[in-house]
Amino acid sequence: MQRRGLLRRVLAFLALAAGGALPFGIARFLAPARAADASHLRPPGALADARAFTAACIGCGLCAEVCPPRCIKFYARSGGGEVNTPYIDPRASACILCGKCMEACPTDALRVIPRQEIDMGIARIDRDTCYPWLDRGVCGACVTVCPVGDKAINFEFANIYRPVVRSGCVGCGLCVEICPHPALAIHVRPRVTSA
Amino acid sequence: MLRHLNKLRLVTLTLIFAMLVLLPFLSIYQSYRAAHAYDLLAPAEQQLYDAMEWLTEPFTDDPATDLDALKGTTWSANVFGLKLSDPLALAGQIAAGGRVYGPFLLSALIPIVLTVLLGRFFCGWICPATLLYELNGLLSRWLRALGLRSPTRHFDLRFKYGVLALGLVLSMFTGTIFFALIYPPAIIGRELYYAIALGGFGAGAIFFALTLLFDLLVSRRGFCRYLCPGGALYSLLGRYRLLRIARKVEQCNDCTKCDVVCEFGLQPMRDGFGQECNNCTACMAVCPTDALAFRFSLTDLPAQGAGHLGRTHLRHGAKSATGDN
Repeated sequence: MQRRGLLRRVLAFLALAAGGALPFGIARFLAPARAADASHLRPPGALADARAFTAACIGCGLCAEVCPPRCIKFYARSGGGEVNTPYIDPRASACILCGKCMEACPTDALRVIPRQEIDMGIARIDRDTCYPWLDRGVCGACVTVCPVGDKAINFEFANIYRPVVRSGCVGCGLCVEICPHPALAIHVRPRVTSA
Repeated sequence: MLRHLNKLRLVTLTLIFAMLVLLPFLSIYQSYRAAHAYDLLAPAEQQLYDAMEWLTEPFTDDPATDLDALKGTTWSANVFGLKLSDPLALAGQIAAGGRVYGPFLLSALIPIVLTVLLGRFFCGWICPATLLYELNGLLSRWLRALGLRSPTRHFDLRFKYGVLALGLVLSMFTGTIFFALIYPPAIIGRELYYAIALGGFGAGAIFFALTLLFDLLVSRRGFCRYLCPGGALYSLLGRYRLLRIARKVEQCNDCTKCDVVCEFGLQPMRDGFGQECNNCTACMAVCPTDALAFRFSLTDLPAQGAGHLGRTHLRHGAKSATGDN
């Protein structure tokens, strides 16, 4: 009988904890998302509108399961409406634009679109960090690795080792992944559309 | 023969769960294959590579692409080119986005049709959480053998329809698919992937552990019975299902074993199946007189009274039925 009393007390405590945690959980869920890491990109083909994306994504993880470089990760433990939605951090591992995730996605969170229409962001070169821009040697890694080519990134006319991002950049982030500078002289940021 | 269906069901559940564990490993293996990077792998990764190669070698020549044929979880899967999604995901997405996306609707169509025909069969035959909940029930039985009796509180079965409605409203207000956070099969598939391929459980694992505790400490199989929004949706869809379990009153001896074994707290012995029954066939397996069988009908049999082999019936009811003995 003593055991049953103990069990009942444990139960009551758990019920109390659960009851208390529920409003907190709901509040946590309804709270606005944490200021997102600016380097986190949505996978290719993602709906441009952030709200439309979270409303369409069911968090199934198929995009990550088919990703050959396994670059797609998830907001697994962060709160807000972003939870369980995919992101790519090109500093760790970048998208190779194979398009498998777009085909795997059961919803229209990731739509199948041609490669040149992909808009994950646009690369920006930090000219105070990039080795050739500081005349600290030759590099060209970003230009070499770019899967899109001349339309996205090429060398400046005056100095054949200084990279310049062009408007055709789709923001895959392979240049970020390969940049040899410890602080990464190139970043992908959301495209600012002048509309 | 029917009594072996329950074993088949447990095998199915185990296979599906094993598949959910295996798929993330296969996904990792595929990426190793695609990179042609065996020599660059750490020893542990090479072991994984070898194991997966051994597993898949009989089935495929080109693992990097062929293994894409089977992907996903029970929340949404790609099975040999056929996309299948959970109807609850569709409901959540419609509520969150306020629109219907055709191809996604199509991917949920086969599960919806099956649910309309077979009822809540997903809960008993496919749901990866069911396996864990039934193991949890086994744990509860062991604890009882040790003298720790789990309480079995009963609530209103209709509570889960409230959870479903609340989930739809929350999805609408937050613009996200709220069900993905609280629906155990979605959590299990996802968290297994997170744990294996991304190296760490997400927040959903905690929620799932809480539901296990709820089942153990408050109400047997309580989450599925009273809280699961998916169960609510399938119960509604399967209300007029075609395949039902029915009691053959001539063979029933009123032993109540089926009432006790029913995970969803239904009363097969009193013909109380209703929309909650998930055709799991556990009652068939336990019936000593084979009095429970499948029946194709849109409605359950009305209450048939005491079983003809039962004591009550033999004493009072059917002098004429036993007259020829």
